[in-house]
Amino acid sequence: MDVNYINPIISSFASVMPQLGLPAVEKKGISLKGRFIESPGVVIIVGIIGDIKGNVIYGLSLEDAKTIASTMMMGMPVDNFDELAQSAISELTNMITATVATNFSKEDININISTPTLVHGKFTANASSDKVVCVQMGVGNMSIDVNISMEKNTI
Amino acid sequence: MKNVNIVIVDDSPFQIALLRDLLTENGFNVVGEASSLEETIEVVTNTKPDLVTMDMTIPGTDGFECTREIHKINPNIKVIIVSSMMDDEIVRKARKMRVSGYAQKPVDAEELTLLIDRVMADEELFSELDGLYSAVFKEALLDVFNKLTKTIPEITNENNENVEKVSKGISIVMGVIGKYSGRIIFDASFETAQKMSQSLLKREPKNNEEVLNVMSEIANMAAGNACSMINKKNKIFGLRVAPPTTFHGESINISKAELEIIYSANAKTQFGDLSISIGFGRGEGEWMSII
Repeated sequence: MDVNYINPIISSFASVMPQLGLPAVEKKGISLKGRFIESPGVVIIVGIIGDIKGNVIYGLSLEDAKTIASTMMMGMPVDNFDELAQSAISELTNMITATVATNFSKEDININISTPTLVHGKFTANASSDKVVCVQMGVGNMSIDVNISMEKNTI
Repeated sequence: MKNVNIVIVDDSPFQIALLRDLLTENGFNVVGEASSLEETIEVVTNTKPDLVTMDMTIPGTDGFECTREIHKINPNIKVIIVSSMMDDEIVRKARKMRVSGYAQKPVDAEELTLLIDRVMADEELFSELDGLYSAVFKEALLDVFNKLTKTIPEITNENNENVEKVSKGISIVMGVIGKYSGRIIFDASFETAQKMSQSLLKREPKNNEEVLNVMSEIANMAAGNACSMINKKNKIFGLRVAPPTTFHGESINISKAELEIIYSANAKTQFGDLSISIGFGRGEGEWMSII
């Protein structure tokens, strides 16, 4: 991978999360994974096509997803990870990935993003690329894994 | 393009007169006008317009409340905000409310005409996609199966419901990007996937990863072929498929997505059932403004 994906993601978190009432954003770590990603409870896939193609696969625990959804909905209690909470988390990843796309465009890398798909339960996700970079983002005392499965688009 | 019927919502008779002249001179049919929430509901219900121009400040209500009521009457009616007020907050809210475009007062005739033309052309394009995508995906799936297995699955349980889906064991999710964005999901039980893999590989699959790989390739081929067929019908769609992500495990719940049109069906194959679900939304591309 000859494109630095990390900084556009970190700056996207730093600009999007505070707007939703989640100010304490920090990068907790970066690791290289194989293609298998164990679900921490909730996984959201956003497809990417353009100068690079692939998927951003967000992962977070059910509890963190509920807390973030509740914060996004002005503190409304979220006891069950219902349709409304799922929609809030999908929208969050949509906003973050759209901002990542904007950040990339400043570097002259043009990408478009797909509709997010949220999947929850106990499962393993199998990324299309066999090298996945995982950026672990801390949000307050919660954490979101951002798994990046990308390849250069040669078409 | 067909005649566009327009209702003007504005609290100022002066602005209504200006807009009515401007729109009529440029070939649009102004079928009604309203200056309150009650009048808006009444006029829109009676005249069934294609498009409404919406002022933001209306005594006792606002442009957003009126837009909500119009979409309750018919979600397909396009709303363009025509207002002197404009800031990021309003634009953000307007996009959320499914407003199609924004023009700032005083309005330039040529620009407003162009905006309305583009919004209506977009509507026709989305209707075109709506009219063809389900048949195309079905055809692509049957074709891929026919070429690979010399059998044609029977399509059953066709529906357009946007609901959460519980996987039977293996799910393949692909994002679609282009003029409109969306997603495609293929789903099958592990047993079905195993039988299918065995038949295509002409041997026992070496491991589960190989089974997942076969399923993701089948999904990728069907999705890619379908999108190419749609692009051939109208190249403006420019649809492309993001690489597939495969899920497997004991509990996979795929939430409903922000999609406006959805087609789901079950393909009864000789190996077992395979379900497909395709959906599109209008996405960000639809927003237009002449600010």
